[in-house]
Amino acid sequence: MQGRNSTVAEAAVEPRSDKTVEAQAFEPKVVAFLCKWCSSAGSDLAGVSRLQYPPNAIPIQVMCSGSVSPLYILSAFNKGADGVLVSGCHPGDCHYLKGNFYARRRIYLVQKLLKFVGLEPDRFRMSWVSAAEGVKFAEVVGDFVKDLKALGPQRKLKAEH
Amino acid sequence: MVVMEDIRARAKELLESGKVRAVLGYRRSSAGVLAEPAFVTAPEDTAALVLDATCVENLALYLVNEKKRQRAEKTPDTRPLAIVAKGCDSRTINVLLQENYIKRDEVVILGVSCENGGVIDTKKLNRALRGKPATAASFDGNGSVKAVFTGGETAVPAAEVLADRCLECTQAYPSVSDFFFGEKESGRTYNRRFTAVSAVADKGMEERSDFWAGHFDRCIRCYACRAVCPMCYCDECVVDSTNCVVKATTTADEKANRIRWIERSVCPSENAMYHLVRAMHLAGRCTDCGECERVCPVNIPLRLLNTMLEREALEMFEYQPGLDPEQPSLISSFRDGDPNDFIR
Amino acid sequence: MEVILKKDRLGEWAAKLGEGADVFAPAFVEDCWAFTKVEPGGEVALDHGNTVRPAKGFVFPQREVLYRFSQDSGGAPRLTETLPDDPRAVVFGVRPCDGRAMVRNDKVFTCGFADPYYQARRERVAYVGLACAEPPSPNCFCLSVGGSPDAEDGLDVLMTELDGRYYVKALTAKGKDIVVAASSLFSEAQPADRSEAESVHAAARSHPQRSIAAMDKVAEGLKRNFDSPEWDALARACIGCGACTYLCPSCHCFDINDEITSRSPLAGERVRTWDNCQFPEFTMHTSGHNPRETTGARLRQRICHKLLYFVENHNIQQCTGCGRCITHCPVGIDIVRIANVMEEAAGQ
Repeated sequence: MQGRNSTVAEAAVEPRSDKTVEAQAFEPKVVAFLCKWCSSAGSDLAGVSRLQYPPNAIPIQVMCSGSVSPLYILSAFNKGADGVLVSGCHPGDCHYLKGNFYARRRIYLVQKLLKFVGLEPDRFRMSWVSAAEGVKFAEVVGDFVKDLKALGPQRKLKAEH
Repeated sequence: MVVMEDIRARAKELLESGKVRAVLGYRRSSAGVLAEPAFVTAPEDTAALVLDATCVENLALYLVNEKKRQRAEKTPDTRPLAIVAKGCDSRTINVLLQENYIKRDEVVILGVSCENGGVIDTKKLNRALRGKPATAASFDGNGSVKAVFTGGETAVPAAEVLADRCLECTQAYPSVSDFFFGEKESGRTYNRRFTAVSAVADKGMEERSDFWAGHFDRCIRCYACRAVCPMCYCDECVVDSTNCVVKATTTADEKANRIRWIERSVCPSENAMYHLVRAMHLAGRCTDCGECERVCPVNIPLRLLNTMLEREALEMFEYQPGLDPEQPSLISSFRDGDPNDFIR
Repeated sequence: MEVILKKDRLGEWAAKLGEGADVFAPAFVEDCWAFTKVEPGGEVALDHGNTVRPAKGFVFPQREVLYRFSQDSGGAPRLTETLPDDPRAVVFGVRPCDGRAMVRNDKVFTCGFADPYYQARRERVAYVGLACAEPPSPNCFCLSVGGSPDAEDGLDVLMTELDGRYYVKALTAKGKDIVVAASSLFSEAQPADRSEAESVHAAARSHPQRSIAAMDKVAEGLKRNFDSPEWDALARACIGCGACTYLCPSCHCFDINDEITSRSPLAGERVRTWDNCQFPEFTMHTSGHNPRETTGARLRQRICHKLLYFVENHNIQQCTGCGRCITHCPVGIDIVRIANVMEEAAGQ
């Protein structure tokens, strides 16, 4: 964490507009933890349907959103992710019946912790995306990347070298 | 009224009868104003036991440490340990019971009520004495703490030097005990639960960011906070790259490929990672004994990270750690009504 | 060189030095004293007890990059030297116990083999000591280990607080330079000044401290009682937090790790960090065997290193009696109490 106010000023906060989106040099890196049975399948559907959405998300397939440890999320930010997404099955549809309910509680806590220490709340997102929701997946990622471009590179938790 | 002689007598009786292998209590220390942990095995040594505003340590830590120590012994003494436990300490014991780290018959709890007292915070005492090191501190029965230092003494209002966790405590007596000393009353009138963490949580985002960045910058990763926490009993800590349980059968590949979640480097990003992961691992388990904050050599307000999650657990999930050893853990349980709005 | 500085001109001296160096002085930050950078125009008030963190950090930082490496796929590894090139530094308010500890650290890092990183910083840092008028802590015991409240070793300058002014004694060439750099602020010390300083020192030395009667008996006791079960009893409450070691001005063990910043192309740094003999893994062998498995063994190691082994190897006490390990131990483990126990055990 840099802990200096200049961090925010340095991070290119550009106004959102189509022209400046192209001119931006900054491409946010998003780490997306996707559950195998729903969200990852949903991302495949988005691909197969040839939906256009930003390629900034690095997908990491996990068996269940409930298996996403807060450690992975914090580590992603530590290694320089600009945004982290956790996506799983809708409540009630979890392949393992209850995994996403555990995720919901645990992820709630970790995002509160990140907010408490001053990380921009917009950098961390959770979504329910089913295997049939290719369109939703593309939207979730598209919105995320757009919002992250406005926030700029993540510096508060990134390991400095 | 907690009568010290009653506690000493009970401790002596437990040792004389051979029912317990040791009594964990407090005694005066040569090192400073605070009492130190005492491991009493001889009945006559129970005369040295004390209980006052300087008994800050959470002795439940030694239930964990002694258990680990026993693992290395060929013929361990399997008798239970007796422990002098304040309200906060007893809640730690309940979580250890809940998690099956110890069994109920492995511990004999001498529960003591803080009544309207509590324990002092040496940092606050330093501030009140303007840096003069105190040599003794005790409640004067009039709502103040009498502090003795080289060259004099002074009385300071208790609310100024009591530990934050005492000011915020809602149950100043043990929730579990075999013997109970004092009154079962929550005579606390401070009514300040979660005030310390609210003061920080209510700041703006950049102010909070600077606040924590400044503190993580000063951390020296001595791991005192982890070492003193009874809930941090893992033999192998996931965010410590030096801490690897290695046996003769561990292969070279396993050693070489061990994931390094954070680097050894002591720098703000790695320090933040350590503290945030530890806070998450304590969610729903931390019972606010405040020791992490007390032992930090550079005065990082660590307890705030844990009480923030404690507040969320209470407000969003109606969960309070340490009151019931039968309850499930916070993060391996859920309710249908858990917050969902933050999920797209 | 002995000069007088009026108390209210201390800030000016710091400001003058700040033109060519980073200046540090103790400040009360987060309810504890810490060496803090003095900003231009900032105040310097030497009214502290002792800092929590010792002065060794200026020449032996907790984290230090030894070199950087990188390698493109198929290429040869490239190493980039990272010898310290920090600006010069002047540290005010260093207590004599920290100064004497620097002499011990110098023995370790510059005798025989000169550690270039340590050496580079040691040459750039000037330690301006402040004699103690009274023990800054109830746990001070510098007199018992051969030190004193006005000891000069390891320091470049020693200041003594007199009435309304400081008695400033330059001890090394570096010390002389930093006095001369602001010569207009000082006046020549007079015999009356010197005798006032001497009486301050004498009064300080007669102040009661924690005491160990005979260090050689302690060494004897330590040697004889290596296998004593007393060590486990003394270390029963130890939680292995390592605060004693990290805060000790003369502890110097370190670890070296490679930290990768990029996998492809490969890039990273070789980093030296402080290590801590009180951590259980300090002596963990790759076979899984740990010769110092218990807190008793580790406590014994630390005490023996300070009060026996270093004495045998270098003929001086490694401990300088600052008392930080006692004050900051969360559970009251007390090196003076242990030394006294060992003294008594020496005869047995």
